[in-house]
Amino acid sequence: MGKRRVAIVGAGMTKFVRRAQETGKELAYEAAKMALDSCELTLKDVDCVSLGTAPDAFDGVHMKGEYLSDGAGGWRKPIMRPYVGGGTGVFTAIHGWLQVTSGLFDICLVVAEEKMSSCYPHPAGAFLTIFDHTTEQPLKPNLIWIFALEMRRYMETYGISHRDIALVSVKNKKNAMDHPCAQIPQEITVDDVLNSEVLADPVHLLDISPTSDGAAALVLASEHIAKKITDKPVWLDGVGWNIDTAYWATRDLCYPRYVEKAARMAYEMAGIKEPHKEIQVAEPYDPFDYKELHHMEGLLLCGKGEAPRLTAEGVTARDGNLPICPSGGLLGVGNPIAASGVMKICEIFWQLREEAGKRQVPGKPKVGLAQAWGDLMQVGTVVVMRR
Amino acid sequence: MGITEKINRNIDITSWKGKIPVNYIYTAGIAGEKFFREIKDNAKIVGTKCEKCEVTYVPPKIYCERCFARLENYIDVGTKGTIHTFTILHENLDGTKKEEPTIIAVVKIDGTDGGLIHWLGEIDPKDVKIGMHIKAVFKSKEKREGSILDIKYFKPI
Ligand SMILES: [Zn+2]
Repeated sequence: MGKRRVAIVGAGMTKFVRRAQETGKELAYEAAKMALDSCELTLKDVDCVSLGTAPDAFDGVHMKGEYLSDGAGGWRKPIMRPYVGGGTGVFTAIHGWLQVTSGLFDICLVVAEEKMSSCYPHPAGAFLTIFDHTTEQPLKPNLIWIFALEMRRYMETYGISHRDIALVSVKNKKNAMDHPCAQIPQEITVDDVLNSEVLADPVHLLDISPTSDGAAALVLASEHIAKKITDKPVWLDGVGWNIDTAYWATRDLCYPRYVEKAARMAYEMAGIKEPHKEIQVAEPYDPFDYKELHHMEGLLLCGKGEAPRLTAEGVTARDGNLPICPSGGLLGVGNPIAASGVMKICEIFWQLREEAGKRQVPGKPKVGLAQAWGDLMQVGTVVVMRR
Repeated sequence: MGITEKINRNIDITSWKGKIPVNYIYTAGIAGEKFFREIKDNAKIVGTKCEKCEVTYVPPKIYCERCFARLENYIDVGTKGTIHTFTILHENLDGTKKEEPTIIAVVKIDGTDGGLIHWLGEIDPKDVKIGMHIKAVFKSKEKREGSILDIKYFKPI
């Protein structure tokens, strides 16, 4: 296909917080600058920019891609804004990969930003109009509904208890205690999750990631340039994305087929034959605790309905055989939508370079994966990364 | 009834009314905080300068968009500028006639590469010209609240 190999050579992120004093532009700048500094490049070296940011309604700036462009290093450069809702973060890295693998550019700055605190009383308000305006909106659905309906279907299909699922929240919030950018690092118990406020049964407050402000960035380079920039390039060897039907009632709900399709695309590109054996560390998207399990299964990291058992057995702990969300995930680090997908890629980048500090997983992993999910809750975006 | 038929009364089609119910709280940002505080407390306009690119940003930025240098020195750029371009508004957004025309200008602040969009005041619309030298007129201190509207308008010098 004439694809060029693409590496990640730098990464950076801001703290994730409930409300940042910084504007969205300033957040984007801080992450972009940190990513460039981390590989000793300057803005002059950047050929193009891929800027990811989720709905305009979060920041409250219509056409916010254009608004954010100078903070993202896009001044007088070719800049584009890819968008697949919550899956945008990982997709922005895929978009950057496309720009470099195609041979069009050698160095792409990938920046993702979200400032959800602008939207009040709650950014969920921005989602009230994602539903069909004639068949669904009259019932006044909100975002939590979708998750509650999906979570229950998942639990029922495989006989999973809320207790099994709550372990994910406990694990990720604890992992986040070692992340310097984390918004809600906490040591909690399964009972804390089960006893927290019920929002839409079975979803309780501590099953959900917070809303956040933050930004994250990556520097991508073509093979010959990457090797000049660093002796520790992390290769983006597989990318995949896929979307399912927009109608919830025609989706499986218990199993994310679109994530499987995206993963298979990425695995094939990266030459991964047995993902559950070959992927050594992963950051699946975990805006809700059950979603981490759901996504592990869709990513073929385990069989259907098996993810809760692996979690209970400690396999997915940071020192387990298959560490899942060693960063602390969205449940612990926070969830500034597009930025959180790039945060996950940053984490795998640091893990594979053995630069994750207290979060470092043992065993010198060589192959990792990051995934995000979103749009109308039916898009999967996946990258396979290799040292 | 679809687009194949001419629709004269759209009340004949099944329809719903809806709205996107979102409200916003915006932060001024790191540079914005300095900018508005100077306007409120001291009736001053500040910017930041990139020494390397020799570009002065008004309103101030914490970074140079050209070279990504971090900009931390806020400088008083005065309150005078020139009219870069302008327009005279005769109608309100709803199409009703304005009692008095409103003049909007892009104001280049002297000695900087930036400026503000603002109203012009104390001038007859017939006399406005590009290149005219103007200065900011601030509200009295007790009425200023840290907003771009603390500047009432710019007027000819
Ligand atoms: Zn500069």
